[in-house]
Amino acid sequence: MSLPRITRLPSVRLLSSIYQHQQPLLPSISALTVPRRTVTQNEYRRPGQPKEDKWPWQNINFGLSKGLEGIKKHFTLLKKEFSDTWVGPEGKPIIDHMLEQNRVVFEFRNPEALESWTVSSDREIGGQSEAYLKLGKYNTCFFYGTLSSAPPKDGETRYSGYCTMRSKQMLASFDRKQHYDWTTFNTLHLRVRGDGRPWMITVGAETYFAHQKDDMYCYFLYTRGGPYWQDVKIPFSKFFLSHRGRIQDDQHPLWLDKVNTIGFTLGDKADGPFQLEIDYIGVCKDYAHTEEFAYEVYKRNPEV
Amino acid sequence: MNPIVSCTLLITLGLGTTITFASSHWFLAWMGLEINTLAILPLMAQYHHPRATEATLKYFLTQATAASTLLFATTTNAWLNGQWDIQHMTHPLPITLFTIALALKIGLAPPTIWLPEVLQGLDLITGLIMSTWQKLAPFALLLQIYPANSTLLIMLGLTSTLIGGWGGLNQTQLRKILAYSSIAHLGWMILVLQFSPALTLLTLFMYIIMTFSTFLVFHLNNATNINTLATTWAKTPALTALTPLLLLSLGGLPPLSGFMPKWLILQELAKQDLALTATLAALTALLSLYFYLRLSYALALTMFPNNPTGTPPWRLQSPQIVYPLALSITATLTLLPLTPTITALMTP
Repeated sequence: MSLPRITRLPSVRLLSSIYQHQQPLLPSISALTVPRRTVTQNEYRRPGQPKEDKWPWQNINFGLSKGLEGIKKHFTLLKKEFSDTWVGPEGKPIIDHMLEQNRVVFEFRNPEALESWTVSSDREIGGQSEAYLKLGKYNTCFFYGTLSSAPPKDGETRYSGYCTMRSKQMLASFDRKQHYDWTTFNTLHLRVRGDGRPWMITVGAETYFAHQKDDMYCYFLYTRGGPYWQDVKIPFSKFFLSHRGRIQDDQHPLWLDKVNTIGFTLGDKADGPFQLEIDYIGVCKDYAHTEEFAYEVYKRNPEV
Repeated sequence: MNPIVSCTLLITLGLGTTITFASSHWFLAWMGLEINTLAILPLMAQYHHPRATEATLKYFLTQATAASTLLFATTTNAWLNGQWDIQHMTHPLPITLFTIALALKIGLAPPTIWLPEVLQGLDLITGLIMSTWQKLAPFALLLQIYPANSTLLIMLGLTSTLIGGWGGLNQTQLRKILAYSSIAHLGWMILVLQFSPALTLLTLFMYIIMTFSTFLVFHLNNATNINTLATTWAKTPALTALTPLLLLSLGGLPPLSGFMPKWLILQELAKQDLALTATLAALTALLSLYFYLRLSYALALTMFPNNPTGTPPWRLQSPQIVYPLALSITATLTLLPLTPTITALMTP
């Protein structure tokens, strides 16, 4: 149940757009009806950002039914957490944990599975790419849209053109962060059907410091296009560290005990439609792969 | 790390503990603890991994809080008692503050939330130093200031054994298991502190030997989670046969050495008419025993699936020095018959 919207006076807004020189008079009238944009957000609204006409608290649903649903959901999760510990680590008996060699982490068999993914594109910074996510024809994840590398006309952005889908943070009871523990595995296994474009797979691990918030471990996914499915196995030792898209000099391997998110990004500067179909995303243990980290780190100040 | 730098840091670590051992003035004791903290921080952060940095920062914040509480207790003691001597403390307020500060320093429950996360972010050798050497200096102080008739120590002890047991139950990361094991053992040490400080010292000594062995076994096998442990039978079969005994010694089963401190502590508690405390402590030890048994099960009682496509590791002579491990495992497994001698040595 939402709070009743404040009635707008369209005539006032129409007047404000037409009669610019009468602007000082009009805000005093509009303040009674609609909160001014300058009150609720910064002075400059970036192109692509939606107009914010509501006070922040008006976006929250304070209804009783929502509260009751929340209580039920969180206490169910809490009860499950307690009961799972009786069974074993991660709710499975220890022998299952030890014998597990493959695990399907994301499987897109119903529409609810898509709710744990979030889609974004450079539309947020004012670009013109579009990205959509839907359930594919045979219960797969279908990520499609149009890439456009035209930069937004804000005078400061020079490059643009990206679309990404990323899994949401897994939450335990009472909205606490939960992490994936993939230490028993060493390879990412995907079954995808792309359109020949090169994608970037990004794995986000748990960070502690604020400046590490945008740390991502990335690797490439070259899709083959065509009607046949593609099995892609990428060892986790191949993932390299990047921060805000820039590859870092001081590389270190991805620790798999606290993985938060996984995502797919397209930014290959080729304007036009794209699509990526994902059947499942899983992790597996490849016993033949013994490499710990694929990249050497050179001494930055070698003694000569 | 540059060998000169790591040597300097290790010597400074030793210096800090020695200063605390040798001090009779609270200020000097605090200084020794701070030197210890500062010396281990670069050792913890030497691997440029964000988790190591996170562990270092969490460790620093906890130890700094504990040290500042200690300093506050020191000044309160000086104000109330008029002197800075460690051994002549009578007022209950500074004694309680000291106990709480030192409990935070060593990782007793309830303020123990930092220990598993910090240990998980470190490599095994630095974790070993943190679990063993860093406990010596705070215990040297605790042994001198313990209050008689304190329920605080008993509550700290029981809470630690309980949290150490419960927390370790569903862990698959070995370093976190060792952290919870450390918490549980510290609980046992604190339980008996006010009745028989010599027993606390004995428990600490036995715990250091057992933990030293365990960390070195894991380091030799480069194992950081249970599934890696399960493959050690192919790499070091002799050690894989001994490691369950080592883990059961940690769990306190006779006829292994780990039984000695638990037995003597329960005996002492019973003598002090604390039968309920003794029962609760023994029951919580069962929780810890469960995860030690689980590790033994994964290690030695299961034959890991033989994967023909997997490359078995070459069984070459290990370049690691194993003499300290050999000595400590011998001590961990065979010291129980020495109990009468040790008991005789403990009584003045």
